[in-house]
Amino acid sequence: MKRSGLISATAALSVLAAACGSTTGGTAPTGGKAPAQITVGTLYSSSGSFATSSMPEYAGLKFWVKQENAKGGAYVGAFHKRIPLKLVALNDQSNPETAATLYSQLITQDKVNILVADFGSVLTAPAVTIAQEHHQLLFDVSGSGTTFFSASNPYVVLTSLPTSGVWPTPLVKFLVSKKIKRVAMIYDSNDFDASQAATIRKGLAAQHITPVFDQAVPTSTTSYTTLINNIAATNPQAVLELGYPNNDIAFLQALGSMGRHFPLTFTAFPGQLHALLESNVGAANLSYVYSYGFPPQLAYNSPNAGLGTAAFVKQFGATTTGPVNFLDIAGYNAGVVVGAALRHATSLSQLSLKQALVSQSGKLQTIEGSFKIQSDGAQIGERLPVSQMFPSSNGTTIKLVYPSSSANASARYPAP
Amino acid sequence: MRLEYALLAGVLYGMFYALAAVGLNLVFGVLRVVNLAHGDWIVLGSFLAWELYSTFHLNVLFSAVVALPLGMAAGFILYWVLAPRLGRSEDPEMTSFVLFFGISQIIEALATFGFGNNQRSLLPNALVAAPLRLGGQVYPGVLVASAVASVPLLLALYLYLYRSHAGAATRAVMANPAEAAAVGINVRKISALTFGIGTAAAVAAGAFSIFVEGGTSPSQGVALTTVAFAVIVIGSLGNVAGTVLGGLVYGIADQMTATFASSWANLVPYLILILVMLARPSGLLGRATRDA
Repeated sequence: MKRSGLISATAALSVLAAACGSTTGGTAPTGGKAPAQITVGTLYSSSGSFATSSMPEYAGLKFWVKQENAKGGAYVGAFHKRIPLKLVALNDQSNPETAATLYSQLITQDKVNILVADFGSVLTAPAVTIAQEHHQLLFDVSGSGTTFFSASNPYVVLTSLPTSGVWPTPLVKFLVSKKIKRVAMIYDSNDFDASQAATIRKGLAAQHITPVFDQAVPTSTTSYTTLINNIAATNPQAVLELGYPNNDIAFLQALGSMGRHFPLTFTAFPGQLHALLESNVGAANLSYVYSYGFPPQLAYNSPNAGLGTAAFVKQFGATTTGPVNFLDIAGYNAGVVVGAALRHATSLSQLSLKQALVSQSGKLQTIEGSFKIQSDGAQIGERLPVSQMFPSSNGTTIKLVYPSSSANASARYPAP
Repeated sequence: MRLEYALLAGVLYGMFYALAAVGLNLVFGVLRVVNLAHGDWIVLGSFLAWELYSTFHLNVLFSAVVALPLGMAAGFILYWVLAPRLGRSEDPEMTSFVLFFGISQIIEALATFGFGNNQRSLLPNALVAAPLRLGGQVYPGVLVASAVASVPLLLALYLYLYRSHAGAATRAVMANPAEAAAVGINVRKISALTFGIGTAAAVAAGAFSIFVEGGTSPSQGVALTTVAFAVIVIGSLGNVAGTVLGGLVYGIADQMTATFASSWANLVPYLILILVMLARPSGLLGRATRDA
């Protein structure tokens, strides 16, 4: 034998492995020996424009890992036992190119069993294709861009929010319910915001309403003075600004410094990062601004997996200095969904993990409500209500104002 | 009315951009290095303004004044630490490129340690609360104040360069360091002074940047360096008046694009930069030179 025989045997084994769907991701053979640990790989941004949002998500995920390890690890159904979790986290510094390199590193070098994306669509986008190429299931925490999900890619699942295209559905209904005809819309030219804008445009068109102002701006936009002036010239009843937190802050700052006032002003992030927005733009500028409604304002206290809202706020809140925000919850929720996949999968193969989540769709209730996904991995189980910031003794308070099924206050329209 | 508004807003932004860029231009003119940490000094100026207002309720104008000696001192120290090492380098320009990139990263990391990742901003009453109403239009008071405050700072720099002995020596070094040294000018001293002034101008600009840029964060430095670089290239390297013109062109182009093709706002100022480079490689106010 024999060198040629050895080569032939190796080649045959390689072909067999390929035929069995061998991947470069960290998988374990079905029915094999249980691994000593489950490696969870993720990225975070400790600096750069997404650090504000990325770090809370990372903190939430770390909290879940710590909680599971305190119980002996995550329960892995394929081996009928708990297995300790090892978290491998790399810093992409808010840079999509760096993120692409690091996602590949997590898959090919660290050989993670579980791959969790960084915050948002911009930093998730590189992971979607890389994960698909390597047949590694991507747990997408908050990259809700609609283009990430397609029938041809079974290797992505959105754990937290519905795809961004779904977000504004209640908002459009709210605008229509208020008989608002003159809508101005300014949005960042990225998939996350553009898909929201597309939904709003379509929803308004169904009501024969055409926005009086409808413009995209670069995501890096920080000067809104001229844009606000142009919006004001159209005399809108509602102004919708769709961006990231830095955009929202700059927009609301500019609005305040110009002394401009619209009957309805909506921005996306006050509902997620209320404390950050209020500390930057002030309670006066934030008062009566509308936003989406997110947990913890939207409370789910009876989940069948993980902690409920009140318990999480209490336990996680004890580990952090600032108020608990939605992104903390999103990171924790990603962990809960990972836990559900590990619990119900018949093996640690990536498609088995995905299949486990498909089987749990509609059954799994988490801190973010019903986990319900389509076959392409897009989340559809949650709806984001409309919230409004009301002045209070210590700044502003978020109240849910639409739809009535989840409302805990009446909307003030037009804003005083 | 949209055109007029964009024009005037562009002028206001442009004056700020000129102040933000002038230090980079001075340093390039004298030392022949692109200070990649320039934007990070602006960020530090923003954090200085934020800290002084948040802690002591000091108006941002005061911060801009305080920034001048602080920035000057920081620039001096940095120059005396770096210059001898750069002088010993076989390729000082490339070494400085790498060095200032490293300094940029260090400043960003230190700012993150000190202030965290989150965006920080100040309410308008930290500078000027009331907006300016002009011809039926409304301009943010903070933007107007930032532009107006830039004028005396830029004027002072101009007077320094064209009405003082040190300024004349600085211009001589800009024109030809070897010849300047030959006529008895202490090039190192002038270089140190220029680096200090350039840093001071950047830190002072930072006090206004927190309003003009809608807030500040440790990672904002690179974007500000890029804008400053575009401004000085459009205007002309080593020329204060050129920097003002470059700032105005950049500001007006930026606001015009925001008005008429907002999704292209990131692109158009840089298209103008390329066009200027093609038409006048030495910048709008640059002079053609001929080596004998």
